[in-house]
Amino acid sequence: MADLVSLTVDDRPVQVLPGTGLVEAAQAAGVEIPVFCYEPRLGPPVGACRMCLVEIEGIPKLQAGCTLTVQEGMVIRTAATSEKAADGQESTLEFILVNHPLDCPVCDKGGECPLQDLTFRYGPGKTRMTFPKLTFDKPIPVSPLIALDRERCILCYRCTRFSEEVSEDGLLVAVNRGARSLIATFEDEPYRSPFSGNVVELCPVGALTSTLYRFEGRPWDIQNVPTVCTGCPVGCNVSATIREGKVKRILSRNHSEIDRGWLCDKGRFTYPHLRARDRVTTPLRRGREGLREVTWEEALDTAEELLREAGTAVVTALSGSETTEIAYALGRVLRGGLGAHSAVLPEATSDALDAFRLPLSAIAEAELVVIVGDDPVVERAPIVDLWVKEAARRGAEVVTCSPGGDVQTSPGGGAALCGELAERGSKLGKRLRAAERAVLVWSGPGGGGGARIAELAHELGFAEKPGCGAFHLPSTPNGHAVAAAWSAAADAEEAGPAPIKLLVVSGDEAAADPGVRALAEDAEHVVVITMFQELAGGWADLILPATASLERDGTTMNLEGRLQRLRRTVPPPCPDELTWLSELGARIGVALAPDAAGVYAELAERLFRDLPLEDLGLQAPLPARKAYEAPAPATTEVSAAATATPEHFVGELKLQRYAALFSGPAVERVPELRFQRPEREVELSAADAERRGIASGDTVLVRSNGTSVELRARVSRKLIEGVARVAGEHAGDLHATVEVVKAP
Amino acid sequence: MASNQTLLTAGTEDRDLTRLEEYRAVGGYEALAKARALEPQAVMDEITAATLRGRGGAGFPMGRKASLLAKDTGRPVYLVVNADESEPGAFKDRDVMRFTPHRLIEGCLITAHGIGSTSVFIYIRGEYLHEFEVTRAALEETRKAGLLAGVTIVLHRGAGAYICGEETALLESLEGSRGQPRPRPPFPPVTGLYDAPTQINNVSTIALVPKVLELGAAEFAKIGVPSAPGTAVFSLSGNVAQPGNYERPLGTTLRELIYDIGGGVANGRELKAVIPGGSSVPVLTPDEIDTPMDYDSIQAAGSFFGSAAIIVVDDRCCMVQLALRAAQFYMHESCGKCTPCRVGTRWLVQLLTRIEAGEAAPTDLELLENVCDRMLGRSLCALGDFAVYPVSSYLRKYRAEFEAHVTGAGCPFVGESSIEGIIAPIAQHAHPVPEVVGG
Repeated sequence: MADLVSLTVDDRPVQVLPGTGLVEAAQAAGVEIPVFCYEPRLGPPVGACRMCLVEIEGIPKLQAGCTLTVQEGMVIRTAATSEKAADGQESTLEFILVNHPLDCPVCDKGGECPLQDLTFRYGPGKTRMTFPKLTFDKPIPVSPLIALDRERCILCYRCTRFSEEVSEDGLLVAVNRGARSLIATFEDEPYRSPFSGNVVELCPVGALTSTLYRFEGRPWDIQNVPTVCTGCPVGCNVSATIREGKVKRILSRNHSEIDRGWLCDKGRFTYPHLRARDRVTTPLRRGREGLREVTWEEALDTAEELLREAGTAVVTALSGSETTEIAYALGRVLRGGLGAHSAVLPEATSDALDAFRLPLSAIAEAELVVIVGDDPVVERAPIVDLWVKEAARRGAEVVTCSPGGDVQTSPGGGAALCGELAERGSKLGKRLRAAERAVLVWSGPGGGGGARIAELAHELGFAEKPGCGAFHLPSTPNGHAVAAAWSAAADAEEAGPAPIKLLVVSGDEAAADPGVRALAEDAEHVVVITMFQELAGGWADLILPATASLERDGTTMNLEGRLQRLRRTVPPPCPDELTWLSELGARIGVALAPDAAGVYAELAERLFRDLPLEDLGLQAPLPARKAYEAPAPATTEVSAAATATPEHFVGELKLQRYAALFSGPAVERVPELRFQRPEREVELSAADAERRGIASGDTVLVRSNGTSVELRARVSRKLIEGVARVAGEHAGDLHATVEVVKAP
Repeated sequence: MASNQTLLTAGTEDRDLTRLEEYRAVGGYEALAKARALEPQAVMDEITAATLRGRGGAGFPMGRKASLLAKDTGRPVYLVVNADESEPGAFKDRDVMRFTPHRLIEGCLITAHGIGSTSVFIYIRGEYLHEFEVTRAALEETRKAGLLAGVTIVLHRGAGAYICGEETALLESLEGSRGQPRPRPPFPPVTGLYDAPTQINNVSTIALVPKVLELGAAEFAKIGVPSAPGTAVFSLSGNVAQPGNYERPLGTTLRELIYDIGGGVANGRELKAVIPGGSSVPVLTPDEIDTPMDYDSIQAAGSFFGSAAIIVVDDRCCMVQLALRAAQFYMHESCGKCTPCRVGTRWLVQLLTRIEAGEAAPTDLELLENVCDRMLGRSLCALGDFAVYPVSSYLRKYRAEFEAHVTGAGCPFVGESSIEGIIAPIAQHAHPVPEVVGG
């Protein structure tokens, strides 16, 4: 342990590590140094707001506490014990309030505003400013999600620093100088970044506010309920702001190992889908006149009847967004009750990765990060992208191996690349082997759910290096635990029934899956558990209303393998799945607890070594690494993606569909998120574009047998030849190979 | 008694020293040869022994500054020359670049050798186009003559911001960012340009380096005063009979500079005030003009040596108007990064405008004084203080005049103020200044 530095703050002695900032040192002494601009997560301090002025013995001028680090014997005085410091802090507040509109009664920040709080404690009671204040047009929408009020802005530069130093989009900038300084978006473009909402939380005043939360609540009529985001497999810790039984806002809740208090816009702004126009709240049954509302009694009668008729000839399609408990309860009812073992399960992460487990925060410490797979990290697990960016800022080398990466691979070529990296001759492999802190990330479909990257990590000896690890970024938030819970619910082999008498579709993700819909065409009957009628209205015989994650109790396991606890933040508009599954189970002789805690108690015994639910707490711990178990080897079947492009037929390109972060049934139901959704465009390599006479911005037709989509071309200098990259939602029914031509 | 020995402008009386051959004819680049024959540390020892103090304003000894450069960092060491001379009243560096660019370049090369740098950046005020071109032509001659010896000298033009004369804002600007100061520590000798150890000096400081080497520290120290040897180019402006640049030893009194050298107050008017170091420093009254112009003496008198820009104010000038002009300049040039300066400069302008218009109450003078006190020493960089010094010192020393504006019905100097010859209004700027003061 390094020698400690001794100092006093307001006469209180304290010892801290060398290099500690004065703000933190004072905190350790139990003294507050108030701040506005200081925020260590945003990089080096800027010393702009001057709120942290303190007196330091031996220095005539007041000093900005945020920009200084401790020195042995330092004697620091804050406003509490120094008149000079008190005058300094009061001056800063007086200056800040000179132009602040003091419209607190109509400001969303009112009541939870650092400027209000610090003014009450350190500020002047009245104003001496008798001149007109600076005025600006307001509020200005910097995007459909965020409004900017420049009059309230105190120019702390937290937002611009976030944009420049954390999300690295450079979209928020300060322009002009002096009294005319203001915050703007670069070139007045909309602030379109997957992380834009963080600036609303960072803003210490009401200058940047959420358009969705505008005038929706006050701190004294809301409650913040802690839970976990299930928008992607990261599992960011969040709080839901509740007013009168409705979710009004989602806030980050700093888990230093997972999210560090950052949250993406999907997690932050998708909650209005709870009140979607087509939300199903009562069961619907298909009769001669189409779908009709029925009572729960009738619905369960129908369900029981369909189940008994089908017997074992049932296929269950599960979503990776279910809670572990729902997946387990479904398994107990269908497998335990009926012996119907056949299922379509979400992509699961390979258990072999448990040997290379690290907290996500370890990525920031890495010296070398190698990302393999077809999809950009930000589309699969956005917060991981921020950790990787931080690693790069701290000097790490980041190597992306993908169709558009630093190391170009063809789509689906990641597994082969892992094999190459494991070979002794590989240069990058050598550096991985030599590194003390290296991280591998699999970001894309295939790869055995991270099994290939686990094999590579094993070859590289990562299990013995505590600083080295490997991650798989699955396509669903809880797929691993859902699959595990389904499998733990009974012991029996599955056999695909033919014909399928009954297809049970659980959750919106499964309901939106084209593969599941194809199965439905073969099934005699279909039961869909969904939140949204439009997803299943055309093909379900029985629709049972589903609840949203924010309405559920239960557990979910993130991509680190960390089990986290979901808490019901608002009551669902319908009985939750566990309640009626328990009832349905009872009808066919399966005893099931009707709530998450009860179901968890049963499944924890089989799945989580009896880990008590309470132990997950508000900030769940990361399980220890396990011994490496070799995963099932890669199947030799050649996936469509891995087949080589027929060289002789220059017209054809491989279609690379990717699932954009801002896509899916929930996102589609929030109009304010429309601008975040992927552009209607096809990305082509420069060579392929040139061959076809296509330039960026051209309208092109992307065609495969009998189907055609009109998109805008984007020519990429980084993308590998032979690939046409299109977001899933714009790819329609296109096949695996397409031709791209300029639209006539 | 002041000698007339010149160092910076030596040889410019009868020769065109912008040309390499002419500069060589007066011994140019001999000091460089001498320096390069020495160990780098010996060069710096000579500069330290000469007590060459920074001519940019603060008067920090150049040798001591160089001794603070971080050693063995694995990064390059940079030399940055501050040629962003923008202070109202200051125009000394302009003449150094315009008339003896080779002296500056030679100083750069000697210093680069002394601190072990091969990259030199000269950050030239954007408006100094002619000076930039002269310096560029001289640099080209130096390059062709093979004198650079592996050293790269980059001439970088500013874009019209006073704040970029502040050394850390200059570095930000040089790196391509907004010209705004950085918090210190870390200081530039440790973490400067591109996070590397960086020596930053003013044009006139660097241009004196060849003379230090040529004369030797002992001879150099005989000029000027013991605490501050050498000469300075004094820029005389305002209501003075013969405005212009005059190189004189440090320690020359203000009286000598104004009356013996500058020909006294213009048009035979009475002297009312002297601003000794550019518009940012506290004012001196006529009974203080026997103060010698060197760092310590002028500071003992309650002002600063600053950029040696002596602004002479005659008895027709309204001190409120003068304070307002200065305040307007600093409001216009405040970078906006930190609160006291961004807000305070505008507030000062508002208060002074009201006082000048005769609409202020006596309490406004107390408020003005208090706003000055609250700004002083609390900004991120010195610009916040620079905005305060003129206002607070005029108010302190010419309080009766401020009170007359409040108790009477406005400015007693209407129609006959000599202000136009002292500080130009900010409206002179080609780009219109947005209205931020409000009614």
